[in-house]
Amino acid sequence: MRTVLAALGIFAASLVVGTAVTVGYGLATGFDRAAREADLPHVIARFDREARETVDERVRALPNVAARSYRHEEKDVDLRANGHGTRKGVLHIVVDGRRGYAVTEGRDLRGPDEVVVERGLAREWGLSPGDRMRVFGGWDVRVVGVAIEPDNVAFPLTVTPRVYTSEASWDHPVSVNLALLWLVDPDRADITLTQARATSFGIGSLAFITRAGIEVLLGQAAGIVIALLVAFSVVALAAAGTMLAASAQAEVQRRLPSFGVRRALGFTPARLAAGQAAEAALLAAPAAALGLGAGALAVAGPSGALLAQLNELPPGAALLPVLAACLLGVTALVTAAATWPAWRAARRPPAEILRGGDLARPRRRRATTSSPPTAARHAASSQPASPARFRDGLLATGARFALAARGRFAASVATIAVCAGVVALMLALAALLERLRDDPGAIGKRYQLTVRLNPFDVDAVKAIPGVADAAERYQAEVADSFRLGEPLRMIAYPGDHTRFEAPPIAEGRRLRDASEVEVGVGLADALGLRPGATLAVQTEGGTEARFRVAGVVRALEHDGRVAYVRPDRLLDAQPDVGSTISVRLAPGADRAAVERELEALGAPPQPVAGATTRNAAFLGVLATVLRGVGLAVGLVCLYALIQALAMTARERRGAVALLRAVGGDTRTVAAVLAGAALVVAVPAAIAGVLLEWLVLGPLVARLAAGYADLPLAPSPGQVALVVGGLLGLSAAATALVARRTMRERVIEGLREE
Amino acid sequence: MVTARGLVRTFGEGRAARRVLDGTALDVEAGEIVAVLGRSGSGKSTLLHVLGGLDRPDAGTVEVAGRPVTGVGERRLSALRRRHIGFVFQFFHLLPELTGEGNVLLPARVRGADPEAPARGRALVDRLGLRPVADSLPHHLSGGEQQRFAIARALVNDPALLLADEPTGNLDVEAGAAVLALLRELAGEGRAIVLVTHEANAAAIADRVLRLEAGRLVPA
Repeated sequence: MRTVLAALGIFAASLVVGTAVTVGYGLATGFDRAAREADLPHVIARFDREARETVDERVRALPNVAARSYRHEEKDVDLRANGHGTRKGVLHIVVDGRRGYAVTEGRDLRGPDEVVVERGLAREWGLSPGDRMRVFGGWDVRVVGVAIEPDNVAFPLTVTPRVYTSEASWDHPVSVNLALLWLVDPDRADITLTQARATSFGIGSLAFITRAGIEVLLGQAAGIVIALLVAFSVVALAAAGTMLAASAQAEVQRRLPSFGVRRALGFTPARLAAGQAAEAALLAAPAAALGLGAGALAVAGPSGALLAQLNELPPGAALLPVLAACLLGVTALVTAAATWPAWRAARRPPAEILRGGDLARPRRRRATTSSPPTAARHAASSQPASPARFRDGLLATGARFALAARGRFAASVATIAVCAGVVALMLALAALLERLRDDPGAIGKRYQLTVRLNPFDVDAVKAIPGVADAAERYQAEVADSFRLGEPLRMIAYPGDHTRFEAPPIAEGRRLRDASEVEVGVGLADALGLRPGATLAVQTEGGTEARFRVAGVVRALEHDGRVAYVRPDRLLDAQPDVGSTISVRLAPGADRAAVERELEALGAPPQPVAGATTRNAAFLGVLATVLRGVGLAVGLVCLYALIQALAMTARERRGAVALLRAVGGDTRTVAAVLAGAALVVAVPAAIAGVLLEWLVLGPLVARLAAGYADLPLAPSPGQVALVVGGLLGLSAAATALVARRTMRERVIEGLREE
Repeated sequence: MVTARGLVRTFGEGRAARRVLDGTALDVEAGEIVAVLGRSGSGKSTLLHVLGGLDRPDAGTVEVAGRPVTGVGERRLSALRRRHIGFVFQFFHLLPELTGEGNVLLPARVRGADPEAPARGRALVDRLGLRPVADSLPHHLSGGEQQRFAIARALVNDPALLLADEPTGNLDVEAGAAVLALLRELAGEGRAIVLVTHEANAAAIADRVLRLEAGRLVPA
């Protein structure tokens, strides 16, 4: 039974490791794997439609270009198939050369009237090779393949599904507006881009994006979620490691008497330690292999689905060496953890081992002495009388049993505290994700509605009953002028923007006039900006605007790559910049009435959510997954509690037998075990909450979005859930172990004592 | 007070099986001390455990104070031990975490214990002269003190039957004599006492001395 319990512990820990590694490795390497598989170009250049020969002439002149190919990209294409349809489709007409996408099903394009569809579209619309599709409302084509191109997230995470066709479908040469470049030395892409810009005279609206830039963009799209999952993997690994070490330590503690006997019989410490190592490895290897395998299999589906949403490929067989390394690592960890205390114990005198290892026993026991030393008697007699009922109650007795094995007590508390901390973190993360999905305040937005009206209508909006404030909000996607390809989002409000969006200041101060800008930490870190520095941006039209950085803010939106300005200079640089009106509702306002009034002004209002609409379902699923992970970690807590209690009951079986001999029944034994459980669970719960509050929450928030303030401190409800859950688990563990203990004959326990 | 008939208890299986009780029978009256002698391994302690419901015989019946000990569930056995039987062990079995008085009061903490038990326990501590060391932990006590605390613990629930397994086996002569005198005094209060021992002076206080031979009790 003990071996089964130990194996279950290793299995459970390996399950966590397998889960974490599968998710973490898949996410960490997903883009590189997909980019390699798809032969993603190092640089993608977008420009106004141009004859291929004209563009090719310029590209040929560039140094460091190993290969090139061209496409024509048509946006807002009407696509219909299998009863589904969209007007937001993107058609790529592949002209020649290397593709830059990987066909995962069917075949590549060969002739006219054929299309290859992106995997997300095929999955959502149920398309497979051989199906028919209608493009542009009247052009019927045949789907011949399914492909991924990891330069964007997959449909429907992006609302623009992509379809590829070949130039063969056209009876005339196709002009191009997209160039794919593969470089000889990708590390020198910046030099190549500088030269490309210098020689691009005559080619309009030229914009580059690099493979590294795509990775950043994908990071923005999947956003905080990927970082949170990777951060969770790290935390889970740490928790699993702690649990494994504690489990092994407890096992050695249990076997100390056997060590003592064998040492007394002449076994050397090295031989005992080697035997322990071999036994531990033999137990750990299969249990860990099963756990890792089960963990990997359990999350392979969800992880693959997540990667598919990000247009990335699952690791497949590439995960096997990683899992094998984990197997070695877990086995080595268990073996080392089991061998080290065995080695330490075996080196002590056999008599000392036989007396009970680190179990806190009285240092002097004089059972056969009839006349105790005077000093000891005085010391004992002079002890003040204390409230015996409290000190010697069954719960307190159980607590003392658990505290007697200090090493295991500390390990148990540490293990359960880490697990409780992880559970609290998972709950906080899930709540945060739901807030990000539902609550605009979670990303610092103080307005609830937006409406696409003319800026001149602001006063009319303000006059609607229930509207506390309204202002036009300008938003433009621009690029940094100094470092090409560094995209950022400019947001402009006339006057004080903090009435509507107020991310906290990290450094410097709020902007005061049209020449100043507040930049997000994400942007400041990317561009090395600090208060007093200059931010130069290039708009879509190629016009430049410059601002002096007044402050750095912890903005969550757009991964912190945002800049808040007054609209003057932005409008000068890009007069056609898009705007909406942000509407802040008065407390207690009738939202529906306000929406009706706004609609009457000429445009339907849009509710403001924390995340964009297409991410909402995604975040909901992730919140559910995180709560599931929390539940799984809770089961690990249960295991740790059962193990700690079982060890205590086993070590103190004589005392438990005595209780039964004097008439104690199951409830009496359960009360003692409950004391042993509570003395572990209560400090562990407190430590776990503190751990999440002071360490895990801030750490994960920093790992996930160091550019923003993520509210990951546990709420009172979450704290109550963790503490209550641990108490419930303690009760369950107590009941289980008490039942098991009662099956033993009383006399067997007394004999051992 | 105690009636045992046809007790059989075997340890081991197959060729290694050893029958330590083989049709053992015993009657003990209230106020009577019965001493059981025998060689080491003859089954003396096993007999005591079977009489007290700590171990179950393979066959035979035991009744204590008119209540069956054999053939009942663990719950009823617990209640029987709680109300009618007290144990005194050779190695005292005091919990090292509890004070001497805490050990005495341990049976009073058990669910279903007599409400008067705590007061009785404190009175026993006073009566046995243990008050000065009542708050001491066991490892600060002498062997004689530990055994007296153990006897007090056995009496907390005012049992009709006291089962003592080598109660002087770990004591020197002086402390052993004091414990035997105490047992004699307790029998005088109407308790039945079964005393397992291999010491002649311990057997000397008994009203009847029996020897366990080949699994059966015979007069010594």
